[in-house]
Amino acid sequence: MAKPVVEVDTLVKQYGQLRAVDGISFKVHEEEVFAFLGPNGAGKTTTVEILECIRPLTSGTARIFGYEVTRNSDVVEIKRRIGALPQEFSALDKLTVKENIELIGDMYEKHLDVMEIIKLLDLEDKTNEKFENLSGGLKQRVGVAAALVSDPQLIFLDEPTTGLDPKARRDVWAVITNLKKLGKTVFLTTHYMEEAQMLADRVAIINKGKIAAIGSPQELIAQYGGLKILKIRGGDEALAGLLQKKYDKVSLNSNGDILVKIDDAEEFWRVMATLTDMKVGRDIEIQTPTIEDVFLKITGGIITEEGELKQ
Amino acid sequence: MKAFTIFKAVTKNWIRSRSGLFFSILFPVLLLLVFGAIFSGIGGTAQYSLFVQNLDTNTSGQPTEISTAFIEALNSTETFAISDIPADANATEYVRDKLGPLGGNIRILVISKGFQDDLLNGTLKVRIGIIYDTVTYFEPYMTDKQNAAISQGLSQMQQLNASIPDTKASLTIMLDPADQSAAMVKSIVMSVVNAFNYELIGAENVVEFNEASVTTKRYSNVDFYIPGITAAFIMTNGIIALTATTTEFKRRGIIKRLSLTPLTKIDWVVGNVLCQTLLNLMLAGIMIALGWVVFNVRVIPDALSIALILLGSIMFSGMGMALSGFIKDVEAASAIGNAIAFPMMFLSGTYFPMEIMPSYLQTVSKALPLTYVSEGLKHAMIYQNPEGTYINMAIVAMLAVVFIIVGAIVTRWKEK
Ligand SMILES: Nc1ncnc2c1ncn2[C@@H]1O[C@H](COP(=O)(O)OP(=O)(O)OP(=O)(O)O)[C@@H](O)[C@H]1O
Ligand SMILES: [Mg+2]
Repeated sequence: MAKPVVEVDTLVKQYGQLRAVDGISFKVHEEEVFAFLGPNGAGKTTTVEILECIRPLTSGTARIFGYEVTRNSDVVEIKRRIGALPQEFSALDKLTVKENIELIGDMYEKHLDVMEIIKLLDLEDKTNEKFENLSGGLKQRVGVAAALVSDPQLIFLDEPTTGLDPKARRDVWAVITNLKKLGKTVFLTTHYMEEAQMLADRVAIINKGKIAAIGSPQELIAQYGGLKILKIRGGDEALAGLLQKKYDKVSLNSNGDILVKIDDAEEFWRVMATLTDMKVGRDIEIQTPTIEDVFLKITGGIITEEGELKQ
Repeated sequence: MKAFTIFKAVTKNWIRSRSGLFFSILFPVLLLLVFGAIFSGIGGTAQYSLFVQNLDTNTSGQPTEISTAFIEALNSTETFAISDIPADANATEYVRDKLGPLGGNIRILVISKGFQDDLLNGTLKVRIGIIYDTVTYFEPYMTDKQNAAISQGLSQMQQLNASIPDTKASLTIMLDPADQSAAMVKSIVMSVVNAFNYELIGAENVVEFNEASVTTKRYSNVDFYIPGITAAFIMTNGIIALTATTTEFKRRGIIKRLSLTPLTKIDWVVGNVLCQTLLNLMLAGIMIALGWVVFNVRVIPDALSIALILLGSIMFSGMGMALSGFIKDVEAASAIGNAIAFPMMFLSGTYFPMEIMPSYLQTVSKALPLTYVSEGLKHAMIYQNPEGTYINMAIVAMLAVVFIIVGAIVTRWKEK
């Protein structure tokens, strides 16, 4: 296995009474895309900022490329090697796209050709546009460009697609996929399930400061999602209650659909037989489980578009 | 230097921002125009009434040559409407009578008996001192014989020197503490005195003192406001504008973005201070140029005043950076900035002369950094008194270092 770029051990962050990060441990390996998936307030930004050396930790250890985030002499070494897109990225309003990226680049001993980065992010048309005149999606892309300009080995992207329209979101996804091809290590945070599933080699599901599950999307799905899911459109409480008596893996989603988790083929036919017996004439869909199902299973809730945890 | 990169970026950002331009340059300039118009009463020269009692008369009861020359010099500033007080009158009573029940400002200048003699003797003593020093300096290069002759001459000179009483020609100025223009009147009289002294010591022949050569720059009221207003805006730019900008940078996460790079916070602080300093130099230049063109002022900033403007900028920008370390949002920044800037502006003699303030407020003003910038600038630009500038400059330089250090300490480069 590739050597760890990030090593976190029983990390704790306490804000007064609130334990925002509650003793988490994990590793991120070279050249992987690692995603922190969790709802608002889960402790994603707190953890990332501790790793970026801009927030002190309460206890535990965190190492980046083997350097301690708490040791002053190491911090310099870490900052030289990482690139970062902070949550709610902003830049100097009156400077152009190029000037802003260059400014960040100039903070390092050397940096990549700014025009090349601009090309990489498809920002050529906007090279000389002032930052304040850009749309949210373009601003975010400038932020990603700034995170890449120093040619870092490790890149932190804190909610890179939050608030973007679908097209802008796909653009950012393409950039991240590209980074992986370039052999970069990417540490991503998100509250979009499909984003984590699509982009990440490994996902850590984080909730209330704790890592609830960690692994590749396939591993997580296999472990928590089951083989298939039967979705009964527009089911009612009564039907759900009846099914629940026979199968313990039944739940109702926010649209009022009944979800039945199926772990093997035999179980599938048994459920189908039951439904036939009950003469359930509704739309039945067979779904392959996703991270969303994993999340539901683990936390008993889902994350809304706004990032809120809904039970 | 990364500080320089930051300086370039924030300066560019500032120059392209209209509101920044307005508050940091245009607003001060407008204010100068308003104040200038009020204080100069464009069109006519405002004159201060001044009563002069000349007690320095010769044996035949005529005013002495030098005291007359001094009054002429005062007159040549064209700032005073001078009235004479007879030598035998009680000055204050005489002026009260003259002003009548309606009152008016009592401003009396008394030229003491012996003004001319004292001045000449004092000058002679200074000149002997100068000659004495000069000769001693050349001593090592002389032959023994020359040396003997010189030392004889020197000892005679020293005797003469000792026989001249150590006196200073005395002038007494009486001003009403309630008089708004008291400080102004005093400063104009002082600048005439300075010029007068200089002329006397520097003249070829002390006795043949030439009246016509006694010219001082003719200062207008606006001249006296320019150093003060310049100092005041260097301050507001530092502790209001810079504090607001920095707080806004902080709120928008721009400081956080930069703290993610290897940039150190001292470079960040210095870069911002440099930007502010450039801006203030521009501002001072524009204010003074405007003074020349519109108000016909005479003040000329010399190297010392430029240096002081620079140091003042550094000090107040440092103070602004230090303040923003404690402030969370932009509203608080401007509230706190204003709460500090405005009292400071009024308590340090920018708009009102300090002399009219009660003595405890005068003590307070000694504790305000702005006092030293504006006093120093007045010494440099108006009184042409380098010593006065140096002292103020030293204090400002010291405070500048202190504030920059505090600014760098309290600037948050890490979250909590
Ligand atoms: N400086 C702070 N002081 C006190 N509490 C804080 C501070 N920063 C964050 N918190 C709290 O810590 C918890 C974790 O916050 P964090 O920002 O790490 O969450 P997150 O997972 O990044 O969420 P989001 O999706 O909102 O960005 C939240 O409850 C938050 O309110
Ligand atoms: Mg966050």
